[in-house]
Amino acid sequence: MIDQANSFSGGRQYVLDSELAQIVNVSMVLEMPLLLKGEPGTGKTMLAHAIAENLKMELIVLNVKSSMKLIDALYQYDTLTRLNDSRFGDSNRNVSNINEYIKMSKIGQAFTTEQRVVLLIDEIDKADTDFQDDMLDILDQMQFDIIETDETVHAKKRPVIIITSNAKKDLSDPFLGRCNFHHIAFPDPKMMRKIVGVHFPGLDEKLAKDAISTFYKLREIEGIEKRPATRELINWLRALAADPDFKAGKMIGKEVPFLGILFKKSSDYEKTAGLYGQGKS
Amino acid sequence: MFIDFFYRLREQGVPVSPTAFLTLNRALHSGLIENIDDFYLAARSILVKSERYFDLYDQVFTCHFEGFPLPPNEGLILDEIARQMLQQWLQNPGATARMLDEDEEHLQKLSVDELLAYFMERLKEQKGEHHGGSKWIGTGGTSPVGHTGYHPGGMRIGGESIGKSALKVATDRRYRDYSGKGPLTEAKIGEALKRLRKLVPAGARDRINIDKTITRTVRIGGEIELVFEQGLKDRLKVILAIDNGGWSMDPHVKIVQTLFDYARAQFKDMKTFYFHNTIYDTLWKDPARSQKPYSVDELTRLDPETRFIILGDASMAPFELSTRDGSIHIQERNGRTSIECLKFIAKTFSHTAWLNPIQENMWGYSRTIAMVQQVFPMFELSLDGLEKAVSHLAE
Repeated sequence: MIDQANSFSGGRQYVLDSELAQIVNVSMVLEMPLLLKGEPGTGKTMLAHAIAENLKMELIVLNVKSSMKLIDALYQYDTLTRLNDSRFGDSNRNVSNINEYIKMSKIGQAFTTEQRVVLLIDEIDKADTDFQDDMLDILDQMQFDIIETDETVHAKKRPVIIITSNAKKDLSDPFLGRCNFHHIAFPDPKMMRKIVGVHFPGLDEKLAKDAISTFYKLREIEGIEKRPATRELINWLRALAADPDFKAGKMIGKEVPFLGILFKKSSDYEKTAGLYGQGKS
Repeated sequence: MFIDFFYRLREQGVPVSPTAFLTLNRALHSGLIENIDDFYLAARSILVKSERYFDLYDQVFTCHFEGFPLPPNEGLILDEIARQMLQQWLQNPGATARMLDEDEEHLQKLSVDELLAYFMERLKEQKGEHHGGSKWIGTGGTSPVGHTGYHPGGMRIGGESIGKSALKVATDRRYRDYSGKGPLTEAKIGEALKRLRKLVPAGARDRINIDKTITRTVRIGGEIELVFEQGLKDRLKVILAIDNGGWSMDPHVKIVQTLFDYARAQFKDMKTFYFHNTIYDTLWKDPARSQKPYSVDELTRLDPETRFIILGDASMAPFELSTRDGSIHIQERNGRTSIECLKFIAKTFSHTAWLNPIQENMWGYSRTIAMVQQVFPMFELSLDGLEKAVSHLAE
């Protein structure tokens, strides 16, 4: 049984459905990484923040880049500094001790901290398949070798691992086999109202209703390349709330102000601007 | 526990692995799962690794635990074939009716849904009696799209029969060995990729070569000299346009995608588009070719140095290439012939190649292949052809 203090129910800035909470808990008990897939803006990254906050653990974020090599995520051997030190000898470091020049990267940090942490591996799908598979080996065994010193780093406390993917590429089968999987669907309007509520506690009810229904209508326009997501809605609401000229209730079906906040691609913007008139942008 | 459930999932085509099943059992013993709702979620997150299977999982789950009947199994594939038949019917009711040995008048009276249902029936019947040659696909290789006919869009279909008509291939398909004997198998992908790497140019000299730096530094008596070299950062841009429309391409699409999935890591910028048979004024970013159109004219906004690789069998009815509004999709009507669009693309990008999964010695049999060849340099999708294509693209 997982004790209450250590199980997860939702963060302050994040609206969590009970489904997701249950899956997070199962993954923690099984000590398996949780793979979150979903459209951009469905709160994959936010979830990790919420978990960390809720469990009162530190969050370590590894932002995966396409050019990243696995070793970059584990540790760095700072050869240049060592070379420099050996040349000039004006630092306090002991040049013959390689360990002084080994710095832990994100995964290494997650392994070596004394406290259990949440390790977020963000946008894993950007990296190539080799990176993904090799990384899972390490997360499976909870250890890796530092080649330069021939030492093995063991995880002191197994971190809670959250991996996100934008579903750009399919992940490999062995990778999937080692993760628990959850797909975050785009929130429905009711859920969205709650999410908006979390971000804007005192928001005018009418404005919220209007904005959300308009938002979902705009999302449905055919042929939009990048549909606006939660993040865009939040920013848009912020803009609406700050605009003194704007009155709730006047935008249904007519002019939609600040379209530029919702649509980031120029072709999308032109398309919607054509349909919903040009308010302020 | 729940072994039946596990096997039922497998039977229905959800790829569940025994390891995942054991993990599920571990979860069951953790005490975290207290009721069926918990079980539903835990089992899903552990067993099902893609949202594609969520729906199927739901069906199996409700069937297993709540006794709802499963929808008929043949489902998807037959459905797809029936749709193809419908399309053929729309293009040429007479020939399709003859093929089915049915009265055209009778079929004319059916609504679209009824037609689909009827085709499904026929397809199910067809199962098992196909081997000795088909009784309802006309003899002598008559293609249903063949003769001058009628099209709902008011278009006249001209020209001779196509080598591979969708219907014929569709029914063959169920009996085909799925092992996928394309000229390029997955085992060869690694090899092919090494060749693709030739494409990767080196970027700015922004990486330190440690070994050389040390050697150089030692040589000049410890005065640090940094040696920079080119990294592989600045990589080629590649556009891959795949014909994923016809059944004729079907056996090849997967292999090609696997290939380029691996390749994607090699290129800084790789876009994949889809089309059916040939390109009109739109390419599609989604494989279903319905949600994310990409106008061909917009291609001019991209770097002309982008390598544009088209993958398709280039086999279609000649009218699709050379007639205005020749597309078999009604929504693609822009007044430009497809061959003009292809020429436009060839002009936009200085490096193009057309990869064709059909073996090179068969190319002579298709008129459209010859037409496309005049626009794009064409290479066979084999190890050899790929190598040629790569060296052509790397020029």
